[in-house]
Amino acid sequence: MQRPPDSASDLKALQAAFGRSVRSATANPADLQLLAGSDDATGFGQRIDVYRNNAWQFFLTALERTYPVTQRRVGADFFRQLARDYRGQHPSQHGDLHWIGESFPAWLADRMAGTDYEWLADLARLEWACEIAVAAARRDPVGLDSLGRFDADVLSDLALVLQPSLQLVASPFPIWSVWQANQHEEPAAPVDLAAGAEHCAVVCVADRVAVYRLEAADYRLLQHLHAGMSLGDATEAAASAAGTLDRLLSRLLGWAFGEGLVVQFVRASPA
Amino acid sequence: MTGGSLPAPVRGPIPARAGIGLRSQHHEAILETASPPAWLEAHTENYFHAGGPAVRALERVRSQYPLSLHGVGLGLGSADPIDRGHLERVRDAVQRFEPALVSEHACWGHVDGEHFNDLLPLPYTEEAVEHLATRVREVQDFLGRQILVENLSAYVSFASSQLSEGAFLAAVVERSGCGLLLDVNNAYVNAANLGLDPAAFFAALPRHAVQEIHLAGHSRRWVGARELLIDDHGSAVCDDVWDLYEDALRRFGPVPTLIEWDNDVPSLATLLAEAARADQRLQRCHAAAA
Repeated sequence: MQRPPDSASDLKALQAAFGRSVRSATANPADLQLLAGSDDATGFGQRIDVYRNNAWQFFLTALERTYPVTQRRVGADFFRQLARDYRGQHPSQHGDLHWIGESFPAWLADRMAGTDYEWLADLARLEWACEIAVAAARRDPVGLDSLGRFDADVLSDLALVLQPSLQLVASPFPIWSVWQANQHEEPAAPVDLAAGAEHCAVVCVADRVAVYRLEAADYRLLQHLHAGMSLGDATEAAASAAGTLDRLLSRLLGWAFGEGLVVQFVRASPA
Repeated sequence: MTGGSLPAPVRGPIPARAGIGLRSQHHEAILETASPPAWLEAHTENYFHAGGPAVRALERVRSQYPLSLHGVGLGLGSADPIDRGHLERVRDAVQRFEPALVSEHACWGHVDGEHFNDLLPLPYTEEAVEHLATRVREVQDFLGRQILVENLSAYVSFASSQLSEGAFLAAVVERSGCGLLLDVNNAYVNAANLGLDPAAFFAALPRHAVQEIHLAGHSRRWVGARELLIDDHGSAVCDDVWDLYEDALRRFGPVPTLIEWDNDVPSLATLLAEAARADQRLQRCHAAAA
């Protein structure tokens, strides 16, 4: 048996050596000496592979659960390679596996920049939005009829509070179509990646994540409302692009109330 | 969170009977089964979120079953500072679900900014005893309640260890006032992997401290020139572990016992059948104690 530890930093030194050994493909001799002593260094070096494998599998499995469509599109082997490279730059920062994929879309955007796979990062952003939405609180929605309690002259000053789970994701690529085509077991129908931009709203309603594709004008209006703009200001800002203000507002609000997205009306803060 | 009041939780202690680990596959079935287990245990980290289907399912389940919350991510023995955000989420979950028992592991999990999301073994040294006991006290003070600390399965032992695992845990109990969660499968796995004597391990643990027992399955894997038992919670409890469980009941008396089956999760009926096997042994223990 080795000399007993005699300083307050021995535990930290041991854990740092163990961490290096788990992180790398093989443990270095100095770390093995510290951990196992000279009697059992070889056996220790082999058995620590159980922990090395666990750490990798937990990381990979968490990433696969968060990004199933991304994985399906690139294939299991390439996804595994991406996960290994991502882990090299973004090791787990939390004791809760949920957060392992938090930086993956941004990392993927850098990794795929200038390639034919730039769209993959936006698909990953959509999947991370689903991960956030499903974990969010849910509030009881209010109906469109509850607007009736307000005087007509204050309606344009009202702002909508939307479900905490609502996430908005836009891309120059057809990411909703890709996501939608990969929601079933059977092989996905091909998607024309040159089909242009898509705008998505992700929300968790009735314990289920729903991903909607919105018209660009509806998306902009929802963005403004989500940011706390009053109905009047939001429609004015969105209408400069869309033109048909009344149609736009009634269509979006009809959808938002119908899907249970609106949870409260408040007086908008002055701009 | 939805508006309106939540269903009231079942209150009172965990009964000295068999429970099962709650898995998302069984969130609905567990509310409808005609032969419910005596209690349930949930992994704390699975219910950290503000909302979502898992959280709402546990709120419903909690109104029918006594509950234990079992943490896997705090890394109590890490030399680096404890993750305060993680600890706050544990506290939030404890306040929300009001479990009868709260437990974690005698392990570490992060160093130099990286979490390994695994239960990593500690050296059994005086320094580690003091460090873990201090951390446990801090957590208990923060949560305002006692926690149970679970013995770990291990595949390596450290040259610097000075104490047996049992003596190490007994010292942590004495200095922190925590209770123990005795994982019988872990004791069996360690005996096989590290050449230890489970009877000596049990004998070193303070009888009064053991407030819960875990039972689980393990697999076998060749690593280098030797076969290791891997504590993977992916199969039924083996006969040897059932025998060791009976030894544990004889020493520690009838203690709430959990069937842990986290991977390759079987049907609820299979889990309940495993729980019934534990219950039979608990009933014999109750009868012997009467």
